[in-house]
Amino acid sequence: MSELLFQGGQLAVTTQSDLLQADIRVLDGIIQEIGPHLQASDQHQVINCSGKILIPALADAHVHLREPGREDAETIASGTEAALAGGFTHVLAMPNTDPPIDTGGMVTFVQTMARNKARIPVSVAGSLTQGREGSKLAEIADMATQGVVMVTDCNHALQDEYVLRRALEYTRHFDMVVGVYPDTPSLSREGVMHEGRESFRLGLPGIPAMAEEIGIERDLRVAHAVKGRIHVQNVSTAEGVATIRRFKERGLNVTAETTPHHLLLNHSALEGYGTRFKMMPPLRTPEDQAALLEGLKDGTLDMIATGHAPHTDFEKNLDFLNAPFGVVGLETALLCVYSDLILSGQLGWDTLIERLSSAPRLLMKSPLTTFEPGHGFECTILDPSLQTTVSRESFQSQSFNSPWLGETLKGGISAVWRGETDLLG
Amino acid sequence: MTEDIPSTPRKDLLTIGELSREEILSILETAKPFKELFTRSVKKVPTLRGKTVLNLFYEPSTRTRTSFEIAAKRLSADVTNFAVSTSSVVKGESILDTIDTLQSMQVDYMVVRHKVSGVPEYIARHTHAAVINAGDGYHAHPTQALLDAFTFQEIYPEMDGHRIVVAGDILHSRVARSVFEVMHQLGVEVGTFGPATLVPDTVPDFVTILTSFEEVLEFNPHVLYLLRLQLERQQANFFPSMREYHRQYGVTLDRFKILRDRGTWIMHPGPVNRGVELVDDVMSYERTLINTQVENGIATRMAILYHLTPEERKRPEPEAGQ
Repeated sequence: MSELLFQGGQLAVTTQSDLLQADIRVLDGIIQEIGPHLQASDQHQVINCSGKILIPALADAHVHLREPGREDAETIASGTEAALAGGFTHVLAMPNTDPPIDTGGMVTFVQTMARNKARIPVSVAGSLTQGREGSKLAEIADMATQGVVMVTDCNHALQDEYVLRRALEYTRHFDMVVGVYPDTPSLSREGVMHEGRESFRLGLPGIPAMAEEIGIERDLRVAHAVKGRIHVQNVSTAEGVATIRRFKERGLNVTAETTPHHLLLNHSALEGYGTRFKMMPPLRTPEDQAALLEGLKDGTLDMIATGHAPHTDFEKNLDFLNAPFGVVGLETALLCVYSDLILSGQLGWDTLIERLSSAPRLLMKSPLTTFEPGHGFECTILDPSLQTTVSRESFQSQSFNSPWLGETLKGGISAVWRGETDLLG
Repeated sequence: MTEDIPSTPRKDLLTIGELSREEILSILETAKPFKELFTRSVKKVPTLRGKTVLNLFYEPSTRTRTSFEIAAKRLSADVTNFAVSTSSVVKGESILDTIDTLQSMQVDYMVVRHKVSGVPEYIARHTHAAVINAGDGYHAHPTQALLDAFTFQEIYPEMDGHRIVVAGDILHSRVARSVFEVMHQLGVEVGTFGPATLVPDTVPDFVTILTSFEEVLEFNPHVLYLLRLQLERQQANFFPSMREYHRQYGVTLDRFKILRDRGTWIMHPGPVNRGVELVDDVMSYERTLINTQVENGIATRMAILYHLTPEERKRPEPEAGQ
């Protein structure tokens, strides 16, 4: 029997936007008591948290771990270590590996690898269609039996409404969600950045906002008609947020995510043609950023997901058209949201833990880590007195294609506790 | 011009936007004596003797490459052409690998043409050599714009208050973007004319969008600048047919007569699609400046090479024992 007392820290809790000064008593990895000035007894090991912020451990419902197939960019081991370094203790791995995760057998294979190589649980998303080709449904029931919580074709947006309809119907008997990547490929075409003044000035082919807007509208209409359960990945447009809000009001069982980069950056970041700002959907306008933040606050957007997409330095050093889309996000997500949104007062801590911990855990059917007696103790500790400089060397991820490369973020993640262990210790 | 103004030497020419009005005028001023040189029997000056200019063309372009080659040779530089196939680049060798190789060859100037926007800027950040953007994607073609400004200035020495209309496929044109900028910097009023599919609302605010030939006439440009239309645009449904494009947005015979009566000057970066941008008669019109632009291209590019200063390279430290 072991007892830990986390003393003197400030807690991020669900009931208030400000931090709560309180201690946490943990027995055998389970939270026993939360309150001010808890008394330490002889059995307690006291962890001094004064000056630090205790956050329910985060979870990310959208990461690309690249294994199997692209182990040069990331592996399950390196990707989950990146997650831990960023304060995440559960991730949902996307199925666009090579070969793709589109059968029960592949799911088991990846789950087994993850159990052997990762220090945190990895949930696996399955492909919606065989080979992610968009035409024939994958064996969804089989994958559901293996514990798959989401089926998605990732960045291959379903172009066939008939297939989408059948997928949304078929999954109704299984406790899972259909993840959609809202896009209209005939409109986004060969585009590489948001279509607008910036794309004109830089002379790069644009991706119009309407490609996503129409995608979301279409996907949600189909889901609504067949009473499917749908999760919209990577929302980037103001109009997209409005559409999701409208369908939520109509009672559709829809969840949605956006990313830290879409919240905090816009298309002006592409000045200088930095490929570490090239992503899909692209960085949009300041107006879109404002709408995303609004959607995040009012719950239209349920969660922040990083879409962690590692790519090798060689690939990202190709020219802007040929360099792949995608940026890593696990290791910077909490710190940049803290630096830019929490410290400026634009976002409360209660919303932050809802969007970065509780909502993704609900989607992944992972136990909540909010601080309540009876919950397992899983906690990310942020030290506001630290600063974190993002550099090639600072990454646990094998790749460093981050928009924040070279920047210094406020705060530092000093520990990630699970039960009685500091996993960063 | 005063000699005693301290200025940091410019290493690269990547866009027009990075040049001040004064710097543009100074380049144009320098081009004048170079052009006068062409009338002599010996057209060469020793300015860049011992320097190496490398034409790094990831996209074939005989005209621009030859223009740079002649410009460099008339400055007595050594010139090498380095053609790279883009497909091999994507497969294995990165641009950086190529640049490292060329860097080792002690090149002083790199003239870069690439089909992807931003590549010359990327190269410039990774080399000591002075980089000249000879056209990147849809982004910029600053040497073309400067030679066009030089050509404009030869006809109208005081450019302020004059008008130009740039007509054609603006969306996919690096020439248009750079010509807009240079003309605006020099006080020329800029209009543009082309199918709404190819003239987006996202053009700079200072550009007046004209929607019919009548509006072009009303704008009354001193120079009508026609862009080359890439024929594949029709496949992508930017307009229905060449015939309709010519009738709606080209210089037809009827329109040519009006322009000739007004004495409007015609410019075009070449090569021309006869019967699309313009009718054949325009080519023999005394106010068509297409060949003058080519000649001025050499003088302007000489002035640009002259204007730029490669970074001093540090000699690598000899290793111990050598």
